[in-house]
Amino acid sequence: MRSGDWRSRKTQLVTMTLGFLLQTGAVYLRGQIVGQCPMKSVSDVLVFIAWSMVLLYFLVGPTYRVSLLGMFTAPLVAGLQGIAFIVPGAFPDYAAKAQINAYVELHVALALISYAAFALACITGVMYLLQERFLKRHKIGGLFYQLPPIQGLAKVIQRFVLLGLVLLSISLGISVKLHAPVTNTHVLFAWIVWGLYALIGFIIWRHALSPRQTAWLAAVGFVIPFISLWLVTHA
Amino acid sequence: MRDPEPNSNQLLCLGLNYRTTPIEVRERVAFRESMVPEAVQQIRTLPGFEESVVLSTCNRVELYATHTHTDPRAAHDTLVGFLVQHFELGQEQAEALVTYKLNTAEAARHLFRVVSGLDSMVLGETEIFGQVKAAYQTALVSGTTGRTLNKLFQQAFSVGKKVRNDTTIQRGSTSVGSVAVDLAEKVHDLNECRVMLVGAGEMSRTCAQSLLSRGAKSIIVSNRSYDRAMELAAEMKGSALKFDEWESALHEVDVIISSTSAPHFVIKPELIEQVMRKRRWDPLLIIDIAVPRDVDPAVNNIEGVYLYDIDHLQAIADEGRREREKQLSACERIIEDQLDKYGFTKPPGTLVTA
Repeated sequence: MRSGDWRSRKTQLVTMTLGFLLQTGAVYLRGQIVGQCPMKSVSDVLVFIAWSMVLLYFLVGPTYRVSLLGMFTAPLVAGLQGIAFIVPGAFPDYAAKAQINAYVELHVALALISYAAFALACITGVMYLLQERFLKRHKIGGLFYQLPPIQGLAKVIQRFVLLGLVLLSISLGISVKLHAPVTNTHVLFAWIVWGLYALIGFIIWRHALSPRQTAWLAAVGFVIPFISLWLVTHA
Repeated sequence: MRDPEPNSNQLLCLGLNYRTTPIEVRERVAFRESMVPEAVQQIRTLPGFEESVVLSTCNRVELYATHTHTDPRAAHDTLVGFLVQHFELGQEQAEALVTYKLNTAEAARHLFRVVSGLDSMVLGETEIFGQVKAAYQTALVSGTTGRTLNKLFQQAFSVGKKVRNDTTIQRGSTSVGSVAVDLAEKVHDLNECRVMLVGAGEMSRTCAQSLLSRGAKSIIVSNRSYDRAMELAAEMKGSALKFDEWESALHEVDVIISSTSAPHFVIKPELIEQVMRKRRWDPLLIIDIAVPRDVDPAVNNIEGVYLYDIDHLQAIADEGRREREKQLSACERIIEDQLDKYGFTKPPGTLVTA
């Protein structure tokens, strides 16, 4: 799907919708197999984040008039799911089907959806940096015409960071309510990620850095949640 | 492939355009919009003629018609006679009238190329699509189209869309004005875009008008001659600013088009750094059309500032033209395929002029 034109290419939109429905079905079936939200192994987490990214795209894309499922997001979604299938011991059975606590499930799901928002902020950051580079260097060519205006991209980065922060804040609020100790690896990493994006949000709010520097932060910043996922699922 | 349906009606196109005919003659035989309904009716009443569409733009006048003449040349001569009579051309003017006369497959091919922007002065331009649509609509409302022309024009619109969707013939900018618009569109949402002209030269006026026509929000004009600034501002429904005040208003605009005749830089990095701080780094596009340049090139190094001088704009426009020319053969292939699909299987003919 082309970037920068939400209404373009209906067939590709239909294909993406179909893919999303199949993905939703797969997540549901996996949930049935493990008897809870499938979010404990690295494979499941990657699939859930990829699913959340597409979900956020469908929810947020039309509002922002920016198609992020172009040559940027769709490959990342495919890549995340590809990795999910090739990691050693992909999609294991969960050791014990724990007593399901709706709050715990909600806490984890919201945290992962917030990570998807940060992933989209990262992708938008990359798009911004590319478009900025084309404009600065007077390189006006194919991809330049596909990408949205940089001012719009800067706004989308802000909104994804804000959306992710709100979702992660709710998730962490639930963990506080559940009296989950901060020393728990996943809670600790979630707070670190929250701190990082709260800082980025503050920088955006105060205009402390230029949009280009903010785009760099959004793009590189996602390394932290990405690594934390790996560490948490292997802890 | 479908066989062409048997039809006693023969299709023809009589035309003249910017390639065949100088502007002095074209303007003499151009149909005013209000004249077209009457003209299509008049063609229809010519002996042996049944359907008609008149396309008249600044670059071309084309008459599409169906007729029952056994000799197409007689039909063409009748149409030329109509033009001469309609515009009351003298013998000398009539003799200077160089037209192309195309029959069935050539006429269809020509219309498909016209609708796709391949026959336009600016290769791949899209305005012609709307102009052909309007011409067809006028004829349709006037009741001068029938089965043949209705079908032909619908096919032409479908081909035009296909060419634009399947190739990049319309991508890129081919003029300095359209490059300015493309750049502004990639920096800001044009509907929110405020533009300032520093200096009121012809080229900056062209760029500003291109931006306005594509939806720029507002224009501020500042010029050494305040009268000239007011005149230009009135023309573009903008506002004028005295020349000693433009610097203080820079932070309020998103695009600056500079074209003063100053022999030195009038926009320097120190000024733009202050402006960007006031703008909280909101991106700023500066188009420097002046020669010698008005803007210090070091301005481009400032965060969030994108500076383009006339050479940059020209190079982008040249590249745009080259890119479109590269697409030409792909577009022609699509048209040939579509001609084949619609049953116009006649091999390509050369333009017959008389």
